[in-house]
Amino acid sequence: MSGDVIVQQLVNGITLGGLYALIALGYTLVYGIMLMINFAHSEMFMAGGYVGLFVLKALTNEAWVGAGAVGFFTGSTIGLIVLFVIVFLAAAILVGILGVVIERFAYRPLRHAPRLAPLISAIGVSIFLQNAVLLWVDSKALPFPAVMPVVTVVKVGGVTVNSLQILILVTTLLLLAFLDTFVSKTRIGKAMRATSQDREAAGLMGIDINQVIGLAFFIGPALGGIAGVFHGMYYGSVKFDMGFLPGMKSFTAAVIGGIGNLRGAMLGGFVLGILESLAAGFLSAGYKDVVAFAILILVLIFRPGGLLGESVVEKV
Amino acid sequence: MTSKRRRFVALVAVVAALALVVTGCASKTDTGGTDGGATEATVVKIGIGAPLTQGAVALGKGMERGANLAVSQANEDAAVKDLGITFETVSGDDQGDPKTGVTVANQFVSDSKLVGVMGHLNSGVSIPASKVYNQSSVVMVSPASTNPSLTQNGLDNVFRVCTIDSVQGPSGADSAFKDLGFTSAFVVDDSTPYGTGLADEFAKQFAADGGKVVGREKTGDKDSDFNALVTKIKSLNPAVVYYGGIYNSGALLSKQLSDAGVTAPLMGGDGLYDGEYVKLAGDAAAEGDFCTSVGYPIDQLPKGADFKAAFEAAYPGEAIAAYDAYSYDAANVIIEAVKKVAADLGAAKVTTLEGKKAIIAAVAATNMEGVTGAVAFDANGDTTNKVITLYTVKAGAWTAYVK
Repeated sequence: MSGDVIVQQLVNGITLGGLYALIALGYTLVYGIMLMINFAHSEMFMAGGYVGLFVLKALTNEAWVGAGAVGFFTGSTIGLIVLFVIVFLAAAILVGILGVVIERFAYRPLRHAPRLAPLISAIGVSIFLQNAVLLWVDSKALPFPAVMPVVTVVKVGGVTVNSLQILILVTTLLLLAFLDTFVSKTRIGKAMRATSQDREAAGLMGIDINQVIGLAFFIGPALGGIAGVFHGMYYGSVKFDMGFLPGMKSFTAAVIGGIGNLRGAMLGGFVLGILESLAAGFLSAGYKDVVAFAILILVLIFRPGGLLGESVVEKV
Repeated sequence: MTSKRRRFVALVAVVAALALVVTGCASKTDTGGTDGGATEATVVKIGIGAPLTQGAVALGKGMERGANLAVSQANEDAAVKDLGITFETVSGDDQGDPKTGVTVANQFVSDSKLVGVMGHLNSGVSIPASKVYNQSSVVMVSPASTNPSLTQNGLDNVFRVCTIDSVQGPSGADSAFKDLGFTSAFVVDDSTPYGTGLADEFAKQFAADGGKVVGREKTGDKDSDFNALVTKIKSLNPAVVYYGGIYNSGALLSKQLSDAGVTAPLMGGDGLYDGEYVKLAGDAAAEGDFCTSVGYPIDQLPKGADFKAAFEAAYPGEAIAAYDAYSYDAANVIIEAVKKVAADLGAAKVTTLEGKKAIIAAVAATNMEGVTGAVAFDANGDTTNKVITLYTVKAGAWTAYVK
């Protein structure tokens, strides 16, 4: 097995890991504050893919925005950048709002119920959203238009890295850095940390708990939505059940990294993505899920809190 | 709002969500029935078992179209009216999933007026469902399940009008090695009975022809990330990549191969033979890919033009998918058998156990000229028509390959 192949598999793994990490951040953020696994999060990812697709289609449809605008969006580099900034912002904001709405109607009424109740509610929301898309949009996979040209940026020997892979990695790292700073440096971040430590006490200290929880349910799904757009661009299609497997894997990534810990989610995502790619490349493609979940079991046995689970006191 | 009321609202939301799922899974549509009229015709139902909301939906919808077309034509037929029967179809959505398929099969057999099933698509669904039909002596004619083992379980009620993988796989291998000149192949399947069976048969024949199988891998039928596999394929540099599976995942594999700069074309079986494949993979990635499909292309068959005209009149604006014509023939096989039994035993006896057994015997003795060619069955229930056509993507559409 040549070195080129190993490096190329690492590139594949890091890209996949970046997607897992983006989704895992949503799981871990909500868990940190609510101590609840938001099983509907995989559908936030799916919703992001669809919002991205529809916005992209609308903005490149001459009947909707005029030939001039389409020419600008698709004709120049600046236009493309503007186009995709709009697409990503739309996906992040709309899916974020969807997350807040879901929290308001499906989780908030159950906030004082036993912990199993919101979990079941989350599964219900997940099934509801999948079926809503299935019935109202399409049951088929929809092709994601390849508006953004994908160019090979790095080519060393047999190893190639394309622009989209770099974009996914850079965006993921920037978003984590931003989120990390936001949570540790800002006033509202402090309120989030306080809420995660003790919700009741934080409320007594004058923190608006609903605002903090709402914010977590905006940021988490927004990141999931961005991951959904990337998924559409990277794999070229969106489908109503596209969230299931990545959602499962990202949840695993969050647990491997130490659920509730932001950097842990990131680390877990990359660890999982890389191990999966190496397993698929060097054992057999059929073994990649076996390896992924075997790692989960090993981590849970030897480090039940996850790889970075030590800072469990500060859960956000 | 009090917390009690809040809980109530949440409960309602959950119940509503679940209700939607249940209706989504079990949606049944009755079509093709005539409005009673003056004559009290005996209603004879034919089940359509196909993936309609999940799985290979483009192919499943085509099955539904083909069977409904056959039934609506039969109901117009004076001979059928004279016999005092009227056909109805019942669609069951198996979602391409074996468990759901068995549920659909049980729903079908619980209806005593249902005498035959045109279905299912996926071999993995057809095999368990065929056992349910057998217990109730309901005849099953699959237009699309190509795994050989379907008809080898000793069930006398199971038939298919399409060729099997042990014909299709080797035919694909012969085409790849002899006609297209590919000397090495990397073989991938989607871990379903259909995909695995096809890929195994391909690999066996390709090696027997003298080609080199440089790798054999399994993936999942719902996988979307194949990049690690693609890197492996790239490093082995095969002349062709063979994929045993359905277009959903096959298209993604083709796209990722092309993105990674692999120039070897993807080749597969009838599961890839749909326009959706080209749409999902993208024109550039799909161009030059190959697939085999059962039978001759429709426009090369004597009855093809009639079928095309009838299809376009019934479904304006829709394209004929891989199994529309097969489903049309499969439904006609059942219709012809019902007509024969109704003539022999009388319309009232068609839906009795005696009638259902007679229908199975009549289907076994089928000898008709269908849209897809001559339709007749061997002792196992497999079609005696074993023609395979090679297709390639040319200018964004599957077209019959011409050397």
